[in-house]
Amino acid sequence: MSYCFFFWDPHSGAVVCVESEIRGDVTIGPRTVVHPKARIIAEAGPIIIGEGNLIEEQALIINSYPENIMPDTEGVEPKTMTIGINNVFEVGCVSQALKIGDNNVIESKADLGKNVILTSGCIVGACCQVNTCEVIPENTVIYGSNCMRRVQTERPQPQTLQLDFLMKILPNYHHMKKTVKGTSTPVRN
Amino acid sequence: MASLLQPDRVLYLVHGEKKIRSPLSTLYFCRYCSELRSLECVSHEVDSHYCPSCLENMPSAEAKLKKNRCANCFDCPCCMHTLSTRATNIPAPLPDDPSKTTMKKAYYLACGFCRWTSRDVGMADKSVASGGWQEPDNPHTQRINKLIEYYQQLAQREKLERDRKKLARRRPYMPLAFSQHTIHVVEKYGLGTRLQRQRPGAPITSLAGLSLKEGEDQKEINIEPAQALDEVEPLPEDCYTRPINLPEVTSLRQRLLQPDFQPAGASQLHPKHKHLLIKRSLRCRKCEHNLSKPEFNPTSIKFKIQLVAECQVLLTLTNPVENITHVTLVGCEEGDPEDINSTAKVMVPTKELVLAGKDAAADYDELAEPQDFQDDPDVVAFRKSNKIGFFIKVVPQREEDGDVTVSFKIRHDFRNLAAPIRPSEEGDAPTEAIWLTHHVELSLGPIIA
Repeated sequence: MSYCFFFWDPHSGAVVCVESEIRGDVTIGPRTVVHPKARIIAEAGPIIIGEGNLIEEQALIINSYPENIMPDTEGVEPKTMTIGINNVFEVGCVSQALKIGDNNVIESKADLGKNVILTSGCIVGACCQVNTCEVIPENTVIYGSNCMRRVQTERPQPQTLQLDFLMKILPNYHHMKKTVKGTSTPVRN
Repeated sequence: MASLLQPDRVLYLVHGEKKIRSPLSTLYFCRYCSELRSLECVSHEVDSHYCPSCLENMPSAEAKLKKNRCANCFDCPCCMHTLSTRATNIPAPLPDDPSKTTMKKAYYLACGFCRWTSRDVGMADKSVASGGWQEPDNPHTQRINKLIEYYQQLAQREKLERDRKKLARRRPYMPLAFSQHTIHVVEKYGLGTRLQRQRPGAPITSLAGLSLKEGEDQKEINIEPAQALDEVEPLPEDCYTRPINLPEVTSLRQRLLQPDFQPAGASQLHPKHKHLLIKRSLRCRKCEHNLSKPEFNPTSIKFKIQLVAECQVLLTLTNPVENITHVTLVGCEEGDPEDINSTAKVMVPTKELVLAGKDAAADYDELAEPQDFQDDPDVVAFRKSNKIGFFIKVVPQREEDGDVTVSFKIRHDFRNLAAPIRPSEEGDAPTEAIWLTHHVELSLGPIIA
């Protein structure tokens, strides 16, 4: 198992439960809540998560290698996965998108492929698989079994109430991960 | 259990107007005729109307007036889900002091599935939670209503004339086609005053209610004929060159759900009131007894009368009734007219199989002696309370990729526990056993190698 590096500071307020699995070079911003059993795996490059995000149980955020490249190939540059602020990753979703903007909601069991780029205010509906190679325009809603799309006029509201509540309650029932500050390079498996 | 999980494996043949083969879970059993009935050989009647989301009951007259729509609930025009009312706090100036603002509640409709809100089409937030939302008016309502009135009057006039002719000829026997046509004309324009089921062969008895009210002032309704226009509005010039904004274009389904306007743009999709659902009761056509009658209360899923075939007819040799049942299986003979689907020959056990009755307390009764049926081990594989497993031999006739289907007849005895107790002069027991024969088709699946 490779070393995990967190550059978050509990005083500025990110809440990461011990039962979550975080591997690789992951940066989590303040006021983000990571529920137990969430998995953030930075295999092929670092993941930078902004502030105010809500990552629920069994969500999987993975920066994985492209399919036809073996892990030990030389000359492959690590690509950084960037996630903006105020996003919600609901229970059981899978996200491999390399760039996610702000105020998006990825609903339960949604599946985002590697080549999708979410801008801001998008909602990917429950059980919708989006693995096209495109930039989803702002304020798009993807819903339904056929992944129909429509544009909404307002962006989804940031879940500030929920985040505040969780930041107070979760430490009462779960142990939190402590900061690991280190300078050595991460070891790849 | 083939009945619940793989319903199409075992099919029973229903002798009705059409020969229908369907699984037992979809069939009803009329215990007065002692026959199986399928949905196509019963008559369906509307029991009550209710809204599926607020579960409010509505009498039929009110439902007809409101065009079978609920007054409180709305459907999302985008995904047809039910809309929910959400509240926000907006600052509003106090009526007394315009400089101070207070938080007032404003309500808007939102869809939980596709995130459509009433603000998307420009509907203003309302200050009351329910009852504030109106559907937009159809600009053609007046013309349509006038046309309907005119045609209803025309139909009534035609009907009166026809019946007057019939009376004048004084024929005791009215040709059936003629009278059915009259009713058809009346129903065509929606007069439909009496819910009278047409029984084949019965003459129209509504003549007694008709009387020509001479001298009554029948208002003459005149309509203007529709004007044909010579010029049609031309298409806009950039019709072919303008790029399409795809999220703004409505789908056919969204468009046709609003037949009044049929908007082409998503910003004109207004929510419609929710459609009502009905509870229906089923009636056997031969003996006119009710086979299925649901409860009136929309929150209750129970039935007042429910004669489902599974509770009366033998399943794949599980005995649903409480008496001991004797079953004989007979293979279909050559040239059996009902045997059209079988692709294999089957050799069924020729002996009579005995099934114990269903005993709900058997699980709890430890002292009960196990019933002793002498089972031939070649025939009976296992026996457990009211179930039995038995062997059959199957010889597929054709080498094909389809499923192997066998058919045979089950003959079993049935005691009609609910038949009316007739005064028995001979001293017969009121529950006599009658023998029922069912044609069963069993789909065994594809041939492997």
